[in-house]
Amino acid sequence: MPYVYHIKQHSKNRLQKISASENLSMFKQRRIVIMTAETLLISKQRLISSMDAAKSNYRIAALTKTNDDRYVYDYIGKGDDIEFEYHPTVIPPKKFLFLSKETLFEFSDDGKIKSELETTPTILFGIRPCDLNAIKILNEAFADHHGDPNYLARLEKTLVIGMECTKVCDEHAFCYRTGSQNAKGGYDIMLYPDGDNFAVKSVTDKGKKFVTKYLTKHTANIGADDFINEVLKKKEQAFSKEKLFPNLDKMPEIFAANSHHPIWEQEGSKCLSCGSCIMTCPTCYCFDVRDEVALNMQHGKRQRVWDGCMLDTFAVVAGGANFRGSQTDRLHHRINRKFNWLVHKHGQSVCVGCGRCVRACLAKISPKTIGDAILADAKLATATVDVPLDAHKADRDLYLPMPAKIVACESFTEQEKHFKLELENGKSLGHDAGQFVQISILGVGEAPISLASPPDNTPTFDICVRKVGDVTNKLHTMNVGDTVHVRGPFGHGFTPEIMEKMRGKHLLFIAGGIGYVPLRSLINQVVANQHDYEKITILYGCKTPSERMFPKELSHLAKIGGKISIAETVDQAEEGWTGNVGVITTLIPPIDLDPTNTIAVIVGPPIMYKFVLKSLTDKHITADNIYVSLERRMKCGVGKCGHCQMSGIYVCQDGPVFKYADIKDNEEVF
Amino acid sequence: MAKPRVAFFEFSDCEGCQLCALDLTPEQLLDLVSVVDIVEFREAMTEKAGALDDHGDGTDSIDVAFIEGSINRESDVARLKRIRERASIVVALGACAHIGGINALKNFQSEEEYRKAAYPTDPYKYESTTAKAIGEFIKVDAVIPGCPIDTGEFLHVVKDLLVGHKPQVPDYPVCVECKLKENGCVYEKGMHCLGPVTRAGCGARCPSNGGYCYGCRGLISKPNIASQQDIMQKYNLNEDEMLSKFKMFLQRSKEVFPDDK
Ligand code: SF4
Ligand code: SF4
Ligand code: SF4
Ligand code: SF4
Ligand code: SF4
Ligand code: FES
Repeated sequence: MPYVYHIKQHSKNRLQKISASENLSMFKQRRIVIMTAETLLISKQRLISSMDAAKSNYRIAALTKTNDDRYVYDYIGKGDDIEFEYHPTVIPPKKFLFLSKETLFEFSDDGKIKSELETTPTILFGIRPCDLNAIKILNEAFADHHGDPNYLARLEKTLVIGMECTKVCDEHAFCYRTGSQNAKGGYDIMLYPDGDNFAVKSVTDKGKKFVTKYLTKHTANIGADDFINEVLKKKEQAFSKEKLFPNLDKMPEIFAANSHHPIWEQEGSKCLSCGSCIMTCPTCYCFDVRDEVALNMQHGKRQRVWDGCMLDTFAVVAGGANFRGSQTDRLHHRINRKFNWLVHKHGQSVCVGCGRCVRACLAKISPKTIGDAILADAKLATATVDVPLDAHKADRDLYLPMPAKIVACESFTEQEKHFKLELENGKSLGHDAGQFVQISILGVGEAPISLASPPDNTPTFDICVRKVGDVTNKLHTMNVGDTVHVRGPFGHGFTPEIMEKMRGKHLLFIAGGIGYVPLRSLINQVVANQHDYEKITILYGCKTPSERMFPKELSHLAKIGGKISIAETVDQAEEGWTGNVGVITTLIPPIDLDPTNTIAVIVGPPIMYKFVLKSLTDKHITADNIYVSLERRMKCGVGKCGHCQMSGIYVCQDGPVFKYADIKDNEEVF
Repeated sequence: MAKPRVAFFEFSDCEGCQLCALDLTPEQLLDLVSVVDIVEFREAMTEKAGALDDHGDGTDSIDVAFIEGSINRESDVARLKRIRERASIVVALGACAHIGGINALKNFQSEEEYRKAAYPTDPYKYESTTAKAIGEFIKVDAVIPGCPIDTGEFLHVVKDLLVGHKPQVPDYPVCVECKLKENGCVYEKGMHCLGPVTRAGCGARCPSNGGYCYGCRGLISKPNIASQQDIMQKYNLNEDEMLSKFKMFLQRSKEVFPDDK
């Protein structure tokens, strides 16, 4: 497809009209070069001396060559250190905005927390279109739903100066396949190089101010527009042999239809899970969070570090289950993030074809090979659920937990302990049933824990904690009077809309093991308002009788009678157990229910869902009337770190409570 | 809270890892002794508190035992088990304890060969059997891998134990750290590297300093050995050369040498 560039001087009004009227759709290979900003011409020498002048107010990162002849983006000492000719780097310039390791906050042993955000003005100089597109994608991702304070503070202090590419940088790059050789955003100023001369164009206010202050005195603006025209024409020629992916505009739908394409296993089986691809990718933004304490144990910091879905343990939950246990599953996940799930959100391919992962992969696994293989197949499916971008300003407190005191606690079993917590700020948590909080033990870490008490207006709330990891082990040693830290409530629980839908219905609760905890808040809520419902049936299954949660409450529920009934079963009886023995699905057939007036809610271990869902289908309950609450590994709780992601859905944000109909076709769910 | 009682023990090794463990700045050393009680440490102390057993070790209970060295003698096994009984937490310190280390190279020779090589004049004078990792005899709670270990990682593990964290060493390959350092891959320079299957944590020490990874930190939990072999082959390494790469540190790794003694 030929590239057509429209280069025109437009007034601001006219531009607004254009963007409203024209469909600036994601893969249209057409660019409207916005000419409201001043464009000007400058020589390389003058550009370098301008950067030297800017150094007094900014630190400048640019492409440079190290003593051992590697090309890296680094902070420069002087303008002369800049390499103007592009050579691919191992790590993209993303590292200046999203640090490979950074401190979220510091804490001391008295429980005080303090955080600092970036304040140093920075220039990223000479960033190529693929990386600019990547920066645009990261800017959107870190502002989506919750504004990441660290990233957005740094972005605000950063001026991005882009530089056009006039040829394909090497044989591994494939920006032209994804349409990423033209920057769709992510920069303030663009440089158009031709030999030792450049046209400069600023597209943001930040860019214009910078140009006015540092560049205008050396420059001419006559002929700049023609110059840009020429550069872009040459670029078009240089790229003319290169082709876009076939069916690029239908990428998500085609990928959704091809989860079982043989290419996945063929490429996946070679993968070493070495992580080189995700470390070098400009659009990977997943992270891990770890606490680090000083050796004297008196203070420490919570840090985040780059992490990624190609590493074996990325999706392992505290209990040990790995939701993407094979290399093929992980490759499928990574590539679908790039070519399917996030594409609509960002309006472009999320792989920008920079070629870094290809250069880095010893097994020679390439998104290009996979894209070529799958996109040639024009089989379509409905793309996975698309949650649109929802930009937010930086939330200063996003990662800062609040202190809460333990006001009551009780051990149920060896493994499970129940706590009542009270926020020190005296405020109510304000949660829905089914939501969760992140509980921190400073120095040890953070763990997601379901809320076990029904919504109310008091500053106290209940959690029930199973000993499965460091944080939960530590929690078990804590007692009344001790302080923990809390973030949340998070996620999508049983919202007022769902509660409204349940009104007048027969509610069927099916819980397995500790799955009773997230359900307990809902059960208590509906039992307290039982006149609103036709019937309430609770089915509860555990491995052994001693694993039953809230045993007193269970026997209390059993005694209420009337419209409330409860049936329990265990996999293995113990002494004194007179109830049912067998799997939970044995409790379902005998229930008397009208499938058109029943709503089922299931919470339990991963293995339970498949069987329970089958039994409910046998009872003719439709997917629209089934709700599930899912467990995934969680780190950030706010849709950023990527750990909880399944097929483009963030369980921490879009779940943990889902309507079964919304996720049943989603291949990574069960 | 009483300070945890910490002790160091060694078996067959060069004692380099113990040296690394104490290669601390004066401030670090002060911090360390302010949070733990070092009760036994032959490298650094002359006196041991309390009664001694017939191996010359103490008999009191200890909270954390750092054990260095591989097991090469029947008599070592008894001593090792005694230490295990005394300690709440056992940490394997360094490659020898963790994966048999360089010592395990001898397992590729016959007993006669290695005895003659070590004691030419009187090969059967000393006890010597197959070199094994300590985890082949006792339960090991944590490892500090590497030949030698990294001092920073040692401190990390100490801190993890103090805060009640299960000590975490990375379970991803050296390549992750190598990329973060923005190294060019040494395969492109004609070297052959075990980075893709070796446990990270050393900061890709060797490839960052003109060398390649020998695998001294042992394999990750799920290494793709077949793919690693394909790659080495593609980069012109023949079968024998490939084998000798794996032999250096991975003799005790079933994924590479499954039918071993
Ligand atoms: S991948 Fe494309 S846009 Fe990126 S540097 Fe290479 S040629 Fe330029
Ligand atoms: S770089 Fe290649 S081998 Fe390594 S994890 Fe990525 S796809 Fe797998
Ligand atoms: S997936 Fe590979 S080619 Fe695509 S943006 Fe990431 S590193 Fe570049
Ligand atoms: S040099 Fe070794 S560790 Fe580094 S990327 Fe290459 S294979 Fe991996
Ligand atoms: S690079 Fe490999 S051989 Fe070198 S220290 Fe690290 S793990 Fe050991
Ligand atoms: S994205 Fe971090 S927990 Fe969901």
